[in-house]
Amino acid sequence: MLTFIARRLAQSIIVILGVTLISFVALHMGGDPTYLYVSERASQEEIQETRVKLGFDKPVYVQYASYIERLAHGDFGTSLTYRVPSIEVVLERFPATIELTIFAMIIAIFGAIPIGVISALYRGTAIDGTAMFMAMVGQSVPSFWLGIMLILYVGLGLGWLPISGHTPLLDPLLRGDFSTAIRNFPSAVTYLVMPGFTIAFFSLARNARLVRSSMLEVLNQDFVRTARAKGLNEYHVVVSHALRNAWLPVVTMFGLEFGFLLSGVVVVETIFAWPGVGRLVFNAINQRDIPLVQAAVIVFSLLFVFLNLATDILYARLDPRIRLK
Amino acid sequence: MKTAMFSLAIGLAACAAPALAADPNTVMISQGVDASTLDPAQVSSRNESNMLDNLFGTLYKIGGDGKITPYLAKSYKVSDDGTKWTFTLNDGLTCQDGEKLTAEDAAYSFNRAADPAAKFTGNTPGFVYSSIQFKKATALNETDVEIEIGQYNPIALGMISEVYVHCKDSYSKMNANDAARKPVGSGPYKFVEWTKDDRVVFAKNENFKLAPAKFDKVVWRTIPEGSTRVAEMLAGNLDIITNVSPDQKKTIDATGAATVVPIQGTRRIYVGFNQKAKFQDTKGGQAISKPEVRRALQYAVDVPTICSTLLGVECTRATSPVNAPNNNTALQPFPFDPARAEKLLDEAGYPKDASGTRFELTLQSPNGRYYGDANVAMSIGQFFSDIGVKTKVTPMEWASVYQPLIRAHDAGPLFFLGTGGDTWSAAYDLADFSAPTAGTNYTDWNDPVFFGMWKELYATRDPVEQKKITDKMSARFSEQSPWLMLYFQPNFYGVAKRIGWQPRRDERIDLADVTLK
Repeated sequence: MLTFIARRLAQSIIVILGVTLISFVALHMGGDPTYLYVSERASQEEIQETRVKLGFDKPVYVQYASYIERLAHGDFGTSLTYRVPSIEVVLERFPATIELTIFAMIIAIFGAIPIGVISALYRGTAIDGTAMFMAMVGQSVPSFWLGIMLILYVGLGLGWLPISGHTPLLDPLLRGDFSTAIRNFPSAVTYLVMPGFTIAFFSLARNARLVRSSMLEVLNQDFVRTARAKGLNEYHVVVSHALRNAWLPVVTMFGLEFGFLLSGVVVVETIFAWPGVGRLVFNAINQRDIPLVQAAVIVFSLLFVFLNLATDILYARLDPRIRLK
Repeated sequence: MKTAMFSLAIGLAACAAPALAADPNTVMISQGVDASTLDPAQVSSRNESNMLDNLFGTLYKIGGDGKITPYLAKSYKVSDDGTKWTFTLNDGLTCQDGEKLTAEDAAYSFNRAADPAAKFTGNTPGFVYSSIQFKKATALNETDVEIEIGQYNPIALGMISEVYVHCKDSYSKMNANDAARKPVGSGPYKFVEWTKDDRVVFAKNENFKLAPAKFDKVVWRTIPEGSTRVAEMLAGNLDIITNVSPDQKKTIDATGAATVVPIQGTRRIYVGFNQKAKFQDTKGGQAISKPEVRRALQYAVDVPTICSTLLGVECTRATSPVNAPNNNTALQPFPFDPARAEKLLDEAGYPKDASGTRFELTLQSPNGRYYGDANVAMSIGQFFSDIGVKTKVTPMEWASVYQPLIRAHDAGPLFFLGTGGDTWSAAYDLADFSAPTAGTNYTDWNDPVFFGMWKELYATRDPVEQKKITDKMSARFSEQSPWLMLYFQPNFYGVAKRIGWQPRRDERIDLADVTLK
């Protein structure tokens, strides 16, 4: 197992290098970013001076090589917009994005399981029909529309939840400030509900359908019939026997789920004024803040690599037929 | 359709919205974009300077009416050669940390922004100093600070009024990171906290006696999505918001919780006629290098109709780059008169051919940079095509495509643009054309008569005489028409009912102008 992990980590370096190269080239193809850092009345001399100051006068491959060299020394570069180390800017916003993604994942998983299981158990009934209709709606509704509707009707109309903003939860936890984290918890949850649900709705719907079909397949198998014949109550049949076996295809999907949900935060963070990395990267791309985009890309790449690895390990743990060698 | 749905939803939602109690000692503002820095030498955008205007004092202050009045300084005098401006500070000034603010601090503030080692690229070093050829600042004694510039310049006072003054002791001890994140102010409010991409909080600076703050607390919230800003305002959580979509005005006004206030801004929106040599190899490019053709085309465009139908506001067509109240009031806007445009083009030697075409042009335009830009550009293209000037309109992405073209003077031969103006100086507004080779002369227009007038302007210090010269320059500009003048960009603010505030044309938000009803 350790060899496997080491091999995957080594592969991840190649993946990350590839990602930095692609994003670096893509950002430079967007044109000379110098103009974004000078006044609109700047003369050609001032523009050139700024270009040299920011290092954009050098060929792209030289800029990239210099970037990789600095990266090897742990220097992610200085954000052109914020003028502070870019990794600091990213990590500062990272907890907000992670807490939103985790919350969305909880909704997407723990909401999908009962819906999927109940639909499977009541296959062909009105309950199943309603659940699957809602699942279809969930997969059809664009998140920006859902977010705005929640803001207008739940936030503004009913006044049940805050319209936008954020109360930090993970950040004080990571700093070891547990009392602030506990104090912030109720408020943080109220701020999380609408954006979390907006991100999760699509995944919730998809996962519910997946759990349902997986359950239907398992419920028809011999070992479930045997369990029932042994006189086990229905709860044990479903939870201990059927659901455990129905997990396998679902777990694979859940491993990718975190990445999928992360990719959805850009729009939702913008709509709900959530101070996370998605919005930061979106603005950084528009500002051609190359060091900042690169730092965020590396952090996200590392996260994806870690999640894929974690999924593989979890899959092996759940399925005795699969063992990593 | 999308707008109609949003308006309906907002109307229904707002009807059901419970009224929230608003704190009378707190004012909440949302501009949409967060600051990237709060370092006074590094700020470069209006949303940042709006915060810092209330956090830092300046030697003189630009008012909403365009008048420049004493602020931290009570008076100034200019040396005979116009290169040394000496300001006398008011007594009893302090920074938010209680440190006494003296001429040495003022000099330090000016010199810090110019320090090449700091590599600042903000508005002060990047624009203000290059405009006035800033040399250095020197404290003559405890209250007098001397600002030295390259040569006399009629816009020097206004430019100097853009520079934020802060205390030397606090800033000389800070590293760049702290200076960007933890400003130590010298104005009516003091910095409390900044949660990135979420909010910046100010509190009343009790030590500031020149113009005491009206509110105990000010919160600048960052809410990028326009509809979310509107919802927060209707819920009673915001008092002032920027960039409201004008088609929401009726719906928002109808809620009774807030109102949308439109105002004509100072940004000049125009179509430039690029006369660069590279465009001279086409018939259209050659045509627009002639002033008589450019003048003819002015009559082809119905600007008031563009404003009312595409922008949702009534407007008067601009006559020159100069904003009121410094504009030449004798100038009349070009009327919409396509028949006259056609006649003038015939006389200029560009009759219609068998297919009804006189010549062809390309109009390049940003898409989404300015309110309604691509739509307005397309309508202008149609107006031109209607008189036989077949015009192809090309909307482009701003940051990576259009802006580099503009800065390299390669956009065109027709290009749609908006450039910043102000209310305090005609010379400032005309400075886009400070020289034929000026970076902002994107048209490469080179009229010796117009450019010769700058010498006259620099030669006099008499404001009346200066006004006469800038009026002459505006008239010459109109006659030569290097720009197809359109309008001053309209801005739309949302203002909560409990607030009394009239937005300024220059987009500044001075909290001294805000009152509670």
